[in-house]
Amino acid sequence: MNAPLYKFGAFGDETSLVVAFVIGIGFGWFLERAGFGNARKLMAQFYLTDMAVFKVMFTAVVTAMLGVTYLAWAGWLDLSLVYYVPTFWVTAIVGGLLMGVGFVIGGYCPGTSVVSMATGRLDGLVYVGGFTAGTLGFALGYPAFRDLLAMGDLGVLTLPEVTGVSWGIVAFAVVLMAVGGFAGATWVERWMTAKADPAARAD
Amino acid sequence: MASLTPTEPAVTTEEHAFEPRPYANPYLAGIGLGLVLLSAFVFMGRGLGASGAFNSTIAWLLSLVAPGYAASNEFLARYLDVPGHPLKAWLVFEVLGVFAGAVLSGVLAKRMSRTVEKGPRASVTLRLGFAFLGGFLMAFGAALGRGCTSGQALTGGAILNAGSWIFMMCFFGGAYGAAWFVRRQWR
Amino acid sequence: MYGWLCKLGLNRTLGLLAILLGAGALFAQVEPDRTVTVHEAALLTAHARGEDHVAPRELAGWIVEGRADYRLIDLRDETAFGEYHVPTAENVPLTSLPEYGLLRNEKIVLYADGDLPAAQAWLLLRGRGYRGVYTLRGGLDAWKDQVLFPEMPESPSPEEQARFEKAAHVAKLFGGQPRAAATGGEAQLLDMSALQAATPAVSAPSLPAAGGSRARNRPREGC
Repeated sequence: MNAPLYKFGAFGDETSLVVAFVIGIGFGWFLERAGFGNARKLMAQFYLTDMAVFKVMFTAVVTAMLGVTYLAWAGWLDLSLVYYVPTFWVTAIVGGLLMGVGFVIGGYCPGTSVVSMATGRLDGLVYVGGFTAGTLGFALGYPAFRDLLAMGDLGVLTLPEVTGVSWGIVAFAVVLMAVGGFAGATWVERWMTAKADPAARAD
Repeated sequence: MASLTPTEPAVTTEEHAFEPRPYANPYLAGIGLGLVLLSAFVFMGRGLGASGAFNSTIAWLLSLVAPGYAASNEFLARYLDVPGHPLKAWLVFEVLGVFAGAVLSGVLAKRMSRTVEKGPRASVTLRLGFAFLGGFLMAFGAALGRGCTSGQALTGGAILNAGSWIFMMCFFGGAYGAAWFVRRQWR
Repeated sequence: MYGWLCKLGLNRTLGLLAILLGAGALFAQVEPDRTVTVHEAALLTAHARGEDHVAPRELAGWIVEGRADYRLIDLRDETAFGEYHVPTAENVPLTSLPEYGLLRNEKIVLYADGDLPAAQAWLLLRGRGYRGVYTLRGGLDAWKDQVLFPEMPESPSPEEQARFEKAAHVAKLFGGQPRAAATGGEAQLLDMSALQAATPAVSAPSLPAAGGSRARNRPREGC
């Protein structure tokens, strides 16, 4: 098997758009299944009563990561042909913080806002409007951000490269962190829910 | 116990705080999501995303109204400088799929609902105002961070991209840090 | 075992599965290592089918057409490259080839003065999993002989004449010069510096710069 299939010419640009749509369906399906079209469910994470965001996100990361690891190990997936967003550590921090703050204000991220809008939520629709306006605002004000965007350019950088440790070790560490985190998260959920309302149904 | 607000009679609001809903087991949903992400790597050699689709759309809309400016705008030009139509972008089709998939799941789970998700102490106006503001801020966050949670945190996280992990940690940090200040919206 | 897993519950079972798979991943090798693995059958088949090389005239056609789907690699040293190189070529001495950053899904054409370095590079790349690797048949010598200074056949038939005229036209595009059969033996001694002077014609708009495939509009892949 020669993956990534598209990059080895298995199919062309037009087909890749169909692939995009189908993958999107899967993406939207599972986001909705997890309840991520609902801002209250998403926000509960940050008030510690429902840690689904952490659980879903890191389960997804671990699943895909292990998949990539095993497929690359078997020689089926050429990891050097998978796109990596270059690391700009300054904007990674600034952008990440801004996204986090915006998340608890807006209640969604761009992906989940589409899910929310699709299932009828008005706040999701308004969020999409805000995000669109913000995109335009950023575009119009781009010259002001040019310097910030260029700072801290470390190029394509992986965690194994940064830590000097093998991919496998990093992957195992991520798994341990995630599983440990899930156990901790569940404990926190139970503790918070019991504390806030002893009469509430346990998760 | 839905209540009707005088200004928006067609919209109902859920007043209960974090009531457990019959959503899927988060780990199973996560595995599903992870497999979708993996299939993107295997089929396309790229991951998922969302904010890029908004960029393409804005670029295209602007090009209709002010083509000269749009083509010269440093940020948007790259979304227009493509062989085909700007909307024939991978992410645009992916996001359309997200919409479709969400409708599919929502309809089958009977979770379609014309409503505004908010906490008991917030008014609809407050919630909608914040929704707009949050979206606005996150557009800047995504443009600066070169991706949103799907593109950076999920995709980059899975392939151990260093910048993505930094982004992810700051995302959670920023959210937890700001949560207390906006607690009135949700609790 | 199933009973025990049932008792453990779905979530804990998943957690256990994750840890097991994670432990397995400890031994994973995701970057290809430094070994060159030769698949006999694949190599011999490529040779038999002539899929291991590209003729100079064919390459000339690609350059004239402005194709951007290949990477042309000049394996000689800097000085030689500076004196003359085939348009669109990138200078990567053989010793630097592994680190250069060629992608496994690219079409790569290798050349040097003769055939040997290109053949060595071909084997190296094929052995590291590259698929679309080709040598320029005959190397730079053949390029000069067939493309830059095509030889007019003695008493040509009409087809040969037509072909020669076409070759002569291409030669001029590259700053070369067709020659009559009588002077065939002197081709190698032809003054290459005259060609250097003509090189500006070669970087005319019709001929793309090196690394053309990278300049092509790649679809965006970010978020």
